[in-house]
Amino acid sequence: MENLFNNIAEAVLDGDINETQRLTEEAVEKDATAKEILNQGLLKGMNEVGVLFKQGELFVPEVLVSAKAMDTGMQVIKPLIKEGDIKKSGKCLFATVKGDLHDIGKKLVSMMLEGAGYEVIDLGVDTSPEKIVEAVKEHQPDILGMSAMLTTTMANMNDTIKALEENGLADKVKIMVGGAPVSPNYAENIGANYSSDAHSAVELANKLMV
Amino acid sequence: MGRRNRKNQFPGGLTGGLYKPLTEEKIEKIHKAAMKVFEDTGIEVNDERALKAFHEAGAIVDFDKKIVKAKEEWILEKISTAPEAVTLYGRDEKNNMVLDGYDVYIGTGGTATNALDLETGERKPSTLEDVQKAARLVDALENIHYFVISCFPNELEKENIDVNRFYAALRNTTKHVMGGVYTREGIENITKYAEEIAGGRDKLLEKPFLSFITCIMSPLVMDKDYTDLMIAAIESGLPLATPTAPMAGSTSPGSLAGTLVQMTVEALSGVLLTQIIDPGHPVLFSCVPTTSDLRTGAFCFGSIEMGMMNAACSQISRFYKLPNYTTAGVNESKIPDIQSGYESMATTLLCALSGCNYIHDAAGLIESGLSISYEQYVIDNDIIGMCMRAVKGIDVDENTLAVDVINDVGPAGNFLSHNHTIQNMQSEFFYNKVSDRKTRITWEEEGALDGTERARIIAKDILTNYKPNFIDKEIEEKILESTPGMVKKWLD
Repeated sequence: MENLFNNIAEAVLDGDINETQRLTEEAVEKDATAKEILNQGLLKGMNEVGVLFKQGELFVPEVLVSAKAMDTGMQVIKPLIKEGDIKKSGKCLFATVKGDLHDIGKKLVSMMLEGAGYEVIDLGVDTSPEKIVEAVKEHQPDILGMSAMLTTTMANMNDTIKALEENGLADKVKIMVGGAPVSPNYAENIGANYSSDAHSAVELANKLMV
Repeated sequence: MGRRNRKNQFPGGLTGGLYKPLTEEKIEKIHKAAMKVFEDTGIEVNDERALKAFHEAGAIVDFDKKIVKAKEEWILEKISTAPEAVTLYGRDEKNNMVLDGYDVYIGTGGTATNALDLETGERKPSTLEDVQKAARLVDALENIHYFVISCFPNELEKENIDVNRFYAALRNTTKHVMGGVYTREGIENITKYAEEIAGGRDKLLEKPFLSFITCIMSPLVMDKDYTDLMIAAIESGLPLATPTAPMAGSTSPGSLAGTLVQMTVEALSGVLLTQIIDPGHPVLFSCVPTTSDLRTGAFCFGSIEMGMMNAACSQISRFYKLPNYTTAGVNESKIPDIQSGYESMATTLLCALSGCNYIHDAAGLIESGLSISYEQYVIDNDIIGMCMRAVKGIDVDENTLAVDVINDVGPAGNFLSHNHTIQNMQSEFFYNKVSDRKTRITWEEEGALDGTERARIIAKDILTNYKPNFIDKEIEEKILESTPGMVKKWLD
């Protein structure tokens, strides 16, 4: 059985979606528990992916496909998961702010966070403060992530935070910002947290969740 | 679970030729001019055996003036025995190189007499330890395809230099080793122990993992000592480069075409002598055309004209159906810096794109070849990788056109996690090791290091942790015992 778990981890590391699904199903048939499959197989593989990515051995597209593979395995064991088997990393709400249509950086951060076990709701681009306030009320996320590519639209991050304050929501959600023009200083001034790339965004999110 | 060994997608041997500095008509004109120089001016040959050999083979020899002249038809006939392609082997066969057509290989050069200290940056007279370290570094750097022995061991007596320099190189890399030589005995003793390593003379000649360099002097002189060494090298049976290094404006005409004409005469002289003495001997059309900075008379190894002329040598040598040895990447900078970077890139890229077969001097050399820098080897490893990527060119086929993929992803989607991206991310892109592409914040957090400092870290890491595939212990003991003048202690 241990061999099988290792093979699942290996399949996740290889980003082999079909193989991950097949092996996970095999483990289920052999009466492995969801927790075992998760901790000794799927997550073990994904953790190794994280280590190799940090060392520069794995590239972003490979991490994303490994995340897909892990998710495929998750779908297989979902019906078997009991309360307390999984600690969800957290729930994130993401948006590119009003007036701004750029979103590849935000998508990358979203995907990396999903790979790290977060649930991510993406509101898309050109998102007004009002829309974000409504979404925070509705989804009650742990983290709100805002992205801007232009210096001219960056100010809408601040406007959104003010709108959250006016609605009494600013204390209820941690705020992350990112994008080319954003600096750590700016983030601090508007009461947000900064990370400079997708990898450090995951680290920041983990820190904020503690 | 572990690391994945990624295959180098841009290895030596890719075919160049996208850049053609000369047209067919220009090549023909340079050839005709070179033939006229051979016929009217000739070359001075300061070695009795060589003069005799030229005479017996049918050249027009003036024994009093030591001048050899020749006609086009005779020259073309004599060089026709030289192989069109030469294979230079490595101790490990994965490092073999077939110098054919416009296939490109890029490596190091020598012979510097100084080395910059990796800890202090101080310039010191180079030693045998520097030869070993440079060879080891090059063995580990994946984009450098062969090792031309880097520097001169100043601490050794002249008669002991050849055997120790070559052994220092061979011991620390399984890539092909080529080097200049200083004594006839040296050539003979190196050949002896190389036979030992190969497992016999037949095996060495079948797969020569080392080769020699003996020079021709500009303008138009085959020097007494060098020609004696050249003959010894031919007798060794090993492949040979006979480079000539005219400096445009001082030791050759103050024009690029004129320099190429004179250089062609000189390069062909080396090919001629090898083919007369040993028809079919593996020899390279060997070129080091350089320039002079006429503001001061200073020698220029890193000028853009040097890159253009060396690039042209691939075309000229192929006109004669010969493999070529050319020069690029060396520079005038005194330290690894911006100048060493842009000069190295400019000349290496031109030569690589033109399809030069054996581009030497292209890693580690600074200060017009007078010093080696360990950081520069690491930087040049990146530069050569970029050049090889450019040599590969833009592939256009159904896969790379990716129409289905574009349709699959559609407007406002992204390609990052698409299988097509993963399938092509290695073959389509080169990933630099030294270049910093992180965010400014991360760069600052990691100490705000510049390119040279980052290269230094990589060089130190390799020299501390990397072990090459040494020569078999038993054979080594035998060689150290039986070869006169050998140093006994070597870097572990």
